[in-house]
Amino acid sequence: MSGREIGAGVISREPALRLEGVAKCFRLYHDVSRSLKERVINWRKRGYELFWALKDVDLTVYRGETLSVIGPNGSGKSTMLRLMTGIMKPNRGSITTHGTIAALLELGAGFHPDLTGRENIYLNASILGLKRKEVDRIIDEIIEFSELGPFIDNQVKNYSSGMYVRLGFSIAINVNPDILLIDEVLAVGDASFQTKCIDRILRMQREGKTIVLVTHNADIAASISDRILWLEKGEVKMLGDPREVSDAYLRAMRTRPEGSEFGTREIVIGKVDILDGAGNPEIRFSTGDAMVIRLRYRAERRVEDPVFGFGIYDHMGLMVYGTNTRLLKVDIPYVEGEGTVEFHLPKLNLLDGRYYLSVAAHTRDGQVNYHWLDKLFFFDVESPGRESGYLAMDCRVVLHAPS
Amino acid sequence: MKKNLKKFIEYRELLYNLTIKEVKVRYKNSFLGFLWSMVNPLMLLLVYYVAFGVIFRLRAEGMVRYEFYLLAGILPWNFFSLSVIQAVGSVVNNADLVKKVYFPREVLPLSYLCSSGFHFLLQELVLLAFLLIFRVRLSPWILAFPLLLVLQACFAAGLSLLLSAVNVFFRDVQHFTDIFLLAWFWMTPVVYPVSFIFESLPPWAARIYLLNPMAHIMLLWQRIVYNSPVNGPKAAYFSPVGFTYTVVLSLLLLILGYWAFCRLEGRFAEFI
Repeated sequence: MSGREIGAGVISREPALRLEGVAKCFRLYHDVSRSLKERVINWRKRGYELFWALKDVDLTVYRGETLSVIGPNGSGKSTMLRLMTGIMKPNRGSITTHGTIAALLELGAGFHPDLTGRENIYLNASILGLKRKEVDRIIDEIIEFSELGPFIDNQVKNYSSGMYVRLGFSIAINVNPDILLIDEVLAVGDASFQTKCIDRILRMQREGKTIVLVTHNADIAASISDRILWLEKGEVKMLGDPREVSDAYLRAMRTRPEGSEFGTREIVIGKVDILDGAGNPEIRFSTGDAMVIRLRYRAERRVEDPVFGFGIYDHMGLMVYGTNTRLLKVDIPYVEGEGTVEFHLPKLNLLDGRYYLSVAAHTRDGQVNYHWLDKLFFFDVESPGRESGYLAMDCRVVLHAPS
Repeated sequence: MKKNLKKFIEYRELLYNLTIKEVKVRYKNSFLGFLWSMVNPLMLLLVYYVAFGVIFRLRAEGMVRYEFYLLAGILPWNFFSLSVIQAVGSVVNNADLVKKVYFPREVLPLSYLCSSGFHFLLQELVLLAFLLIFRVRLSPWILAFPLLLVLQACFAAGLSLLLSAVNVFFRDVQHFTDIFLLAWFWMTPVVYPVSFIFESLPPWAARIYLLNPMAHIMLLWQRIVYNSPVNGPKAAYFSPVGFTYTVVLSLLLLILGYWAFCRLEGRFAEFI
């Protein structure tokens, strides 16, 4: 996929972005107390824990290079990107940039539904730091790239989500910055639009732009970058040759899932059992077996309207399936004391492999996690058939022999 | 602060675009559109005129065309209170943007100041037309209009920056502002002439009353637009000390507000 040879002289030794001893700390609040009254009442109580999302990271991104940042959830990838753009400021250390920066963190942030696509282009581009004259110059290209055609003069509120995202991407990518920061937004649009986006990124590489890409997908990272940075728990685990780092990363992810737990612990999930259909603990399943996931929880105090859920992940950390009590339309008015929640899966439609399980209890809106056990459990699935992939699907063949 | 200011100047077109957006969006999808800018204060005028002009007979105080006196104060006051109320919630209400994109955040509160200012200018044009039609004697001081506009804008900008930044951390500010502005309105000579205060309050209380910078700003609006020394001497009050005090305070508030905004800005994205 790579459109040029790595080390073909495009990359200089001039820094485009430099992070020196950058550290970022978040306060994880036990309870969201934002009103004055609550602040006064909890005057002396420190209602938060400190969480270091990045710990003294040194990094130089050279002009013209494409650097991918990989790492498991919560490793600090997105925080790093936000610090680079200036949305957040580091607690320690310094960040210097040479050249203009544009970030694809979220597409279409700042679109106003009542304005037309064209009006939104001007607004959005100026949020990204462009002058009107510069927009005038590239607007045709933006419209063409977005494939919106005559819809460009319709109000954005009438757009489909696909159109919305296409317009957002077209603006951001045509802003043509010296340094482009991308946060896993490539998974948007249909396949042909995705190809266009990758093509566009390759073109920017050829034009000598500096690109920092944050992704879960080590394969994409390896195929388009000059170097890969592997972040883990806020620290640089490995930095260098794309093939080497991505191989090491994938190896690590396979043998040792990055498990962790966090949350305010107002509800504590004490024990998690993976059971077979008869209710016996089991970690080996065959495709089509029944499975029960049982959570035992304890709430010291009464907690209103909690949601319990789980997620099943593959060895690379991608979610294969997930649901929760809210999505299943089971309301839990409150919990207090101990109890269990069971999720019954009558038929496990998964193919061969090791799968990791996360379970969680959180608020209805998902804003506050009471307790989250991230991929701390696993089970293996053996498939009697020989299909490949993740999902067992019914498939039938019909042949029409030429007569 | 210096660095912020440089960035802000770099992004001045964003302020312009956001202002245009606000102006366009406010009356979008409404039948009367821009006319609402006029209808709104005219309705207010009717209410106050009936209440105070007709029922309480404030007219009898020797004021020519009391309704124009009212408009001369209500329009700038509305400009002030509307821009502050909108600005206070501006950072919080644009959480999506603040969390996802970097740009100088001060354009958010300031864009509301500018869009309210745009409507204010439209309204003043209409008022001016009325004054000419009804042959109310204008004051040559009306030429000071832009200067007074800048003075009020400085004061409102300082307050907006300060409140919108603090509001990110204490959401109460938003609710408090609404109530406070209502009280503030009646602590400012808009509906009644300032002579009421001098006549009914002891001197020390009147002195406290005059600590309100908006009172001085309103008195100036009435002086230059309504020509209060000629058309309503009871509403005319000017003190060089009060004026100097207001100018200095407005500038100080602007600096303080911007300083506080810059200090707190770095933590907006994680707190919002």
